[in-house]
Amino acid sequence: MVAPPDNDVLWARSLHYSPHGSPALDGVSLGVREGEILAVQGPRGCGKTTLLRCLSGQLVPERGEIWFAGAEVHTLSARRREQLRRDRFGWIDPAGALVPELTVWENAALPLLLRGTPHRAALAAATDWLERLDVGPCARQRPGALSPAQRQRVAAARALISVPTVVFADEPTATLHRAEGAQMLRTLTTAARSHRITVILATHQPEVAAVADRTIELLDGRRVGSGQLGDETEEGRDACSLSV
Amino acid sequence: MFALRLILGTHPLVLLRRLLVVVAATGVGLLLLCALGYAVAHPGRPSASLPRLLWCALPLAAAAHFAVAVARADPVTRPRAGLSAVGLGSGRLSGLATAWTAFCCTVGSALALLVYLQLRGGPAGRAAGASELLAPGRQLPLPAALTLLALLPAVASVAVAVSLRSPRRPAGRSGARAGGTEEAADDGTPPAGLPWGVALLGAGLAAGAYTARTGAAPPPAGPAGSLGVLAGWLLSAAGLAVAGPGLAHLCGRLLQAGSPGPARLLAGRGLMEQARRVGRPLGVACAVAAATLAAATLYGSSGAVSLGPMTGLGAGLVVACTAATLLTAALETRRARLDTRDALLELGATAALLRTAVALRALVLLAVFAPLTWAVAALTVLPLTR
Repeated sequence: MVAPPDNDVLWARSLHYSPHGSPALDGVSLGVREGEILAVQGPRGCGKTTLLRCLSGQLVPERGEIWFAGAEVHTLSARRREQLRRDRFGWIDPAGALVPELTVWENAALPLLLRGTPHRAALAAATDWLERLDVGPCARQRPGALSPAQRQRVAAARALISVPTVVFADEPTATLHRAEGAQMLRTLTTAARSHRITVILATHQPEVAAVADRTIELLDGRRVGSGQLGDETEEGRDACSLSV
Repeated sequence: MFALRLILGTHPLVLLRRLLVVVAATGVGLLLLCALGYAVAHPGRPSASLPRLLWCALPLAAAAHFAVAVARADPVTRPRAGLSAVGLGSGRLSGLATAWTAFCCTVGSALALLVYLQLRGGPAGRAAGASELLAPGRQLPLPAALTLLALLPAVASVAVAVSLRSPRRPAGRSGARAGGTEEAADDGTPPAGLPWGVALLGAGLAAGAYTARTGAAPPPAGPAGSLGVLAGWLLSAAGLAVAGPGLAHLCGRLLQAGSPGPARLLAGRGLMEQARRVGRPLGVACAVAAATLAAATLYGSSGAVSLGPMTGLGAGLVVACTAATLLTAALETRRARLDTRDALLELGATAALLRTAVALRALVLLAVFAPLTWAVAALTVLPLTR
């Protein structure tokens, strides 16, 4: 077993995942540095969401390794992976995935409440983040009353509020118009850079991937045509996956 | 044929629920036929036959209520984006649900007729030594039997058609998550029935107490005042059913009061959101439980079974249908919350937290509705036993 490079906060090696016979991930390797914004680009069905779910511990790959902050993720129990998601990761869903019966305020505060932060402190932090993402005025509304753009911003506030180490954004602008999407991305990246939060951004749009520091491309579950920054070129790597 | 494929291709649990509707319809049909048999056997005593026929109304209502709950919870009749795209939208699916309910109830009624005729030994009633409910030795009036048997299919299908009448949107993963579920409870307004329900309940209890004061005996022993007592009971039951959603909403509000932690917050808000769905069956179950308690107190000691075997069959049907309705509503609630559960698990909420929230919800409902049931039963019985 090869220990991952020290400067990578998240590191994966030849991930394989084929849930129903067809390979969703076929030997994908990648490393993400701390504070970096990495775009995972590819058409629909190329395995972006599966890759993000594997990296965030929601799915366990059939083969391959995932290391986070110097510790293995793929061997952890389901309970420990839940804890990891709660304490260190944030997640932005394509459609927001807000809890419909909670107000916007409580939705944003939910990660802190789940960690055991007192109610008052969690709501104060939520107010702060909602203001920063320009959705402060709708704090007392239900998600059903918001526009898709506002909903996505609330989802971003919820992902950022606990100042996680890594935020996984799965097609965060997929349901938004261009201008709204661009603004949402700008706020997300600004907040991430100011707090040194690593962002992994899955998208099928090149203009979205352009805001990232680095882009890797997926096609049919494999990495293709990536930039040659080259610090991982040892043998034993799956032949299909090209190095970063 | 396509509809049949849709319907038969579902989960065994769903098929079981539909089978239970058939069984309930069979029970109601048998009960109605027994009332008819009694009337045929005693043509000179309409005053004894009428209570038997009226008694059938309660199981019929319970069975119709159950049929509506099953139709609403049926995954086949729920609007789906895929079927909507090929032109099988909310309207056609509601029609399908109505037709299917009518079919289930008709099958149940036909089974009831077959069982009844088998027990009698044919339409002419040749079975010797049969109970008076089977009208031995007399010809069963077939048009009357068919009319009675058509009651439940008609009532249930109309109820299903009315309850599915409001246009429902296909609730896909994203739609439901965004709060666009079929129930219009997104804005968090409480259900409006609570004051009306409390008023009805109070009026029912008062009516019972008033008629008891004038010297009536509990039904059906005293013919004069029993109508007032019965009306009081029905009013109280209606009040509980109307107040159910509002009460459930209030429970949720209490549960998330103060500065709640995640478990209390999720449990309370979930209850407030689902109050419309679970409140009505819960209120009905509460009414049935209160009536059972009251009846056990009033008649249990004397052992008086006034209507013969029909009492047990009817009461059993009402209790079983109410319990099944409540269970169906609970399962539907669980299904409606699947997307929320996924979203919470994505955030890293533990399964234990979600289980705690569900347990809290059940506990607070029990803590409010159980004493209420007991109080209503005690207040109903009090003026009659004093």
